[in-house]
Amino acid sequence: MARYGMVIDETKCVGCHACRVACQNQNNLHENDAFNFLVEKESGTFPNFSRGFLPAQCQHCDKPPCVSVCPTGASRKRSDGVVIVKEKDCIGCKYCIAACPYNARIITKNGSVDKCRFCIELVESGGTPACVTTCMTGVRIFGDLDDPASDIAQFIAKNRRNLRVLKGELRTGPAVFYRKA
Amino acid sequence: MTAAALSAGTFGLKAWSKTTASAPVTRVPTICNGCGNRCALFVSVKNKRIWKVEGNPDANGNQGAVCPKGHGYLHDLYNPNRIRSPLKRVNGKFEPVTWEQAYKEIAQKVNLILLDNGPESIFWVNYPQPNQAYALRLMHSMSSPHYFTHGSTCYTARNAGWNFTVGKLPSNDLANSRFIMIVGRNPAGGIDLGEVKGIVKAKEKGAKLVVIDPRHSETAILADEWVPVKPGTDLALLLAMINVMVEEKLYDRNFVANSTVGFQQLEDEIINYPPQWAEKICDIPAQTIIRLTREIAREKPQALIHRGYHGAFGAQYLNSFQTARAIAIANALLGNINRKGGIYFSESAEFGELQPAHPVPPGPSVGKADGTGIPGRYPLGSYGDGISHAIPELALRGVLKCGFVYHHNPLRTNPNPKRVIAGYKKLELLVAIDPVLSETASIAHYVLPASFYLEADEAVDNKHSGKRAQVTIQQKVVDPLFDTRSGFQIIVDLAKHLGVGKYFNFSLDEANELRLKPFGADLKDLKAKGLLEVGLPWTEGFEKLETPSGKVEIASSTLENLGYPAIPRWEAPLVSPDEKDAHSFRLLHGKQAIHTHAMTANQPYLMQVSHRYDLIRLWMNRARAERLGIKNGDLVELKSFIGEGRIRVKVTEGLHPSCVWLPSGYGIFSKRLTTAYDHGLSYNDFLPTLFDPSVGHAMASEVIVSVRKV
Repeated sequence: MARYGMVIDETKCVGCHACRVACQNQNNLHENDAFNFLVEKESGTFPNFSRGFLPAQCQHCDKPPCVSVCPTGASRKRSDGVVIVKEKDCIGCKYCIAACPYNARIITKNGSVDKCRFCIELVESGGTPACVTTCMTGVRIFGDLDDPASDIAQFIAKNRRNLRVLKGELRTGPAVFYRKA
Repeated sequence: MTAAALSAGTFGLKAWSKTTASAPVTRVPTICNGCGNRCALFVSVKNKRIWKVEGNPDANGNQGAVCPKGHGYLHDLYNPNRIRSPLKRVNGKFEPVTWEQAYKEIAQKVNLILLDNGPESIFWVNYPQPNQAYALRLMHSMSSPHYFTHGSTCYTARNAGWNFTVGKLPSNDLANSRFIMIVGRNPAGGIDLGEVKGIVKAKEKGAKLVVIDPRHSETAILADEWVPVKPGTDLALLLAMINVMVEEKLYDRNFVANSTVGFQQLEDEIINYPPQWAEKICDIPAQTIIRLTREIAREKPQALIHRGYHGAFGAQYLNSFQTARAIAIANALLGNINRKGGIYFSESAEFGELQPAHPVPPGPSVGKADGTGIPGRYPLGSYGDGISHAIPELALRGVLKCGFVYHHNPLRTNPNPKRVIAGYKKLELLVAIDPVLSETASIAHYVLPASFYLEADEAVDNKHSGKRAQVTIQQKVVDPLFDTRSGFQIIVDLAKHLGVGKYFNFSLDEANELRLKPFGADLKDLKAKGLLEVGLPWTEGFEKLETPSGKVEIASSTLENLGYPAIPRWEAPLVSPDEKDAHSFRLLHGKQAIHTHAMTANQPYLMQVSHRYDLIRLWMNRARAERLGIKNGDLVELKSFIGEGRIRVKVTEGLHPSCVWLPSGYGIFSKRLTTAYDHGLSYNDFLPTLFDPSVGHAMASEVIVSVRKV
């Protein structure tokens, strides 16, 4: 069984939002609903200045707080690590939205709770998540963390010291790793 | 239009996505129309509705990637603002008419105008499309010289600078470069996917990227070094870099000796421009100029200064032509012309002719009224592009009487909208070919609804040049939702009604086959794959350039004979902000990755990004903002001597203090574009009608504004 994860290279994002719109199309989302988002950061003073973007989405935690607070089991973690929301079991209580430390969950135009699911239907049919393939700078690497031959496992092995997870102190165990800027 | 087609187009996203989870998917190769790059895509369709697009990994231009516009613009197929049939303006209001009626009435009016004013009173202007050769053919069939592109507001200074130096516009071999310097161009914002991919590849191999830009652009995010230059003074930096290359003998001596003319003249004149001189003008320390020049020269010939696009010297300043010349010469000194990792002449598919199978149109017997290519007027101007922002002036003078505007919106994208409106309104006949009622279409006498790019087969395209030429094709992915026709079909229909049908006696397939003939390429094969490689692969070096001397013209006798300096000379910008006035700024503009010209602001998927991330703001340097008591998010009033407007401010350290920066693509004033209407401003609202005295370009950054908190 695969264990899916993602690497996001913070040094490469130029803030174009192609990932957002690619994801919206892949997942049939309304224009106001997005599973991934960017945080812009500026530092320094003119002319010694830099800026960048931090791309964020569901971190597919190993110990997902959204799953433990869900009263119906609609939010669940699959055996391949992907955290999903089963729409028919969701009663719309929004506990999961409050519990997610990454603000990764949204209420869609349809009224259901939803979030990034690593485009799992696409992945299961042999594809790669839409946010990965669309990106002109190659910000994201997706794959099986447990397969030593996968691009992601090799990248992690090579760059271990330059990687971080978001809000590591919460010990949620994200499956999304960031290459530090 | 069938009822089924209409219902497939208009039933909601929610209902559709519920019923289509397991529906079969068809995948059609075609090209994007979200900007001018025309990236190669695969479009997926479920239940007769467009679902998504993916990039063609083999395409030179996008190499598998898709930008946000590529994903977002496809939704415009279902935009409720689309025109559903031809329209005729009657007493100030549009009435639907049949195609036949529209064509007949247009032809009658054109014939009357021809009788009174001759063929030169008729023009066609478009933002280039794969079918542009047929639009030119239509004008030539009618003996009119007046085919225009948007070029004079975009790139004609850059093109002229390169043409007069190396004979044509080259490309950048970014992926193989060891040192990339980019002056003003921002491929990560004014998106060029292939270029960004090339930069990333080069950097992964250890290349250095330096971005020279008054603004910390999106490309600067990828850079090793951001060097903010005082806007309008890039030429001083370039002259000083050439000075250092010459003084320190950092140039490629073999290349200069064997492949250039005029180096000695350059040596004599460039001593006037040491880095210490440039520092005072362009705000870049002399030591930085010297260091960067040594660094780039160390990597020659696998080092380049980007050939540029709109930004910095496409059509921006009085000195843009000289800046483009200086960039071409600096590259030549690096010995990188048509070299791996340098500036190279990309392979581009040269399409076959329609003759002898079809007669050659007579062509014009007089020159263009805008004066392009005419000594004493705009001798360095591009005859092929024309000076399209002169159209309103020529209409006001009664020279142009009748115009066709296709895939273009000059009322919003040309400088000085009041003047542009007055000019286009003066026309006796204005026909707009557009899928929506843009600003320009809104004042037309007739509007012919063009099919959306996903609804129509089109002319074969050669946009994907590169190390090997590629041809691509726009294909119909879904049936037209409304009573619309392809651009190609409209051109052919117009020709037939205007009495020049004998030059258009071919089907689209026949024309495409004739165009593909020189490559031995098969149309069926192209349609199945969406993209074919043609011709021979690129090879390094050159025997003879397309210049009068056959060499790189460091000194140009052609320019000298026309009365211009043979060697680039420092020329100050036309206008500069008043340093004693805290309110005075140069107004710069540039693209954001989510918008193209004035055509995407009406797309909710793209405009929602603008709103959600508060992108419709004017950038201002923090220190300057503080002096004016302006805080992040404050509303300000912007005024030039031709216009005024209000907008909120983004206060940043990432901008040169002498300018403010306005994102382009906003300021839509057509009320028929309901998503875009009345959000933000356009730089054109402030920019007077200007013509650079040699090239005739718009000098789009030669504008000073006064900014006040409101």
